[in-house]
Amino acid sequence: MASVSELYDVGWEEMRDKLRKWREDNCRNSEQIVDVGEELISEHGSKLGDDIWIIYEQVMIAALDCSRDDLALTCLQELRKQFPDSHRVKRLSGMRLEALERYDEANKHYDAILQDDPTNTAARKRKISILKAQGKSAEAIRELNEYLEQFVGDQEAWHELSELYINEHDYGKAAFCLEELMMTNPHNHLYCEQYAEVKYTQGGLENLELSRKYFAQALRLNNRNMRALFGLYMSASHIAASPKVGAKVKKDNMKYAAWAATQINRAYKVSQAWMGHSALTLPCTPASQTSFSQLDKLILQAQESR
Amino acid sequence: MFLLYMNLLEGVASAVYSRKKAYCKMLLHAAKYPHCAVNGLLVAEKVKEKKKDSHSAPILCVDCVPLFHGTLALAPMLEVALTLIDTWCKENRYVIAGYYQANERTKDFRPNQVAEKVAARISENFSEAAIVMVDNSRLTMSCFEPIVLIYDHHENKWKSRDVNTDCFEDWLEAQKITSALLEGRSYENLIDFDNHLDDLRNDWTNPVINKSVLDLC
Repeated sequence: MASVSELYDVGWEEMRDKLRKWREDNCRNSEQIVDVGEELISEHGSKLGDDIWIIYEQVMIAALDCSRDDLALTCLQELRKQFPDSHRVKRLSGMRLEALERYDEANKHYDAILQDDPTNTAARKRKISILKAQGKSAEAIRELNEYLEQFVGDQEAWHELSELYINEHDYGKAAFCLEELMMTNPHNHLYCEQYAEVKYTQGGLENLELSRKYFAQALRLNNRNMRALFGLYMSASHIAASPKVGAKVKKDNMKYAAWAATQINRAYKVSQAWMGHSALTLPCTPASQTSFSQLDKLILQAQESR
Repeated sequence: MFLLYMNLLEGVASAVYSRKKAYCKMLLHAAKYPHCAVNGLLVAEKVKEKKKDSHSAPILCVDCVPLFHGTLALAPMLEVALTLIDTWCKENRYVIAGYYQANERTKDFRPNQVAEKVAARISENFSEAAIVMVDNSRLTMSCFEPIVLIYDHHENKWKSRDVNTDCFEDWLEAQKITSALLEGRSYENLIDFDNHLDDLRNDWTNPVINKSVLDLC
């Protein structure tokens, strides 16, 4: 089988830079990381300098994902030789045991780290991951809540907790987690959009209106977020169709929905050349004089209600 | 492609198609996101008349549309997908006939609340809708045996039925093609609705994979 460098005509520096980009973006493209990393380590290891250690760690975790225990063990042994007393490496040993489903031994590893260093967040999070892997969602949620009481700023943990709550259909608590994330990351359109989705799923007129406002806010932060655009259309349409709203609210929401539909159709037309079949049109009221200023009104409402 | 055997008195005549896309794309979807739950819709050919007194005939699932990976339990994008795919089905004389899901954890193959809700929604339009669950623990490159569980709605509950190679129009072909696509890492090119929402140019009808399947026939 051709090597990565042959297949893609890249040199070792490009491979190293690609691995760094994947590290920084926290991508989980494990098969690619294993392909590139394994070749980089075996053919060009000596050129990497101190970078090699972080690459060993990255490749080891990817190897666990791909059931490549041989490669994972090789990387782990190199790291153990270089950093014999490291908690970071001990955590990697624990992860390997998790991959082999030897959860009790893995837990012992993490408990040993925590005895030495009770503030070690990585070990605590791995223990919670074990609960999740074992299907013990309620316990995982409880432990994660306790963790967050101590480490209130851990965004990764808040996001994980929101996902656990969503999977348990506890949308109210999921929304709370996302609110924490939005407070600390006001410019992140993804949190806004996900919060809107949770509110929409919760249902009820009030939540629908809130969801529409946050879809609008997400769009304002990133006008190419298609989920936000679709979400705006869906929530506005549902509100307009609700028997509980007055005539003015109905009319306003129909305008928002019509605006969103126009934008969606426009976005599809732009990508039409690539799609192969005709641009899909959404059922909507005829596009009125709704302008972008309507979107600004929605955002003002969102800001006022916070 | 599946044959869903119905125990109903109301029979539905079906045309038999030999496209082998549904099973492949389902497994490719699961293989592309091994660390996530994935789900999707199964489509069948739409039938013109319902003959009330004919005995039950098999319904053939001819294609599948991969939907989401990761968090499956949120409503808005699911509704968007159902609407758009329904429109596409009408244009192509298909009907949404079933729902598949592969859970996040390897050993978990039971349909959960999401599966039941979506299937209930599909049942509004197609009374014999089925839930197909992928048994992750048996997913291998060689695909020697079918690794799905099929659930039908009886008396307000979803009950699984026996699955064997007779549930497939041509199991050997399906097995050969799926295995070849998995080995060739074709799942890297599989597009689901999430990918489509990330970039509208990504085509959830998967023409590239469909062509690969045809080429292997």
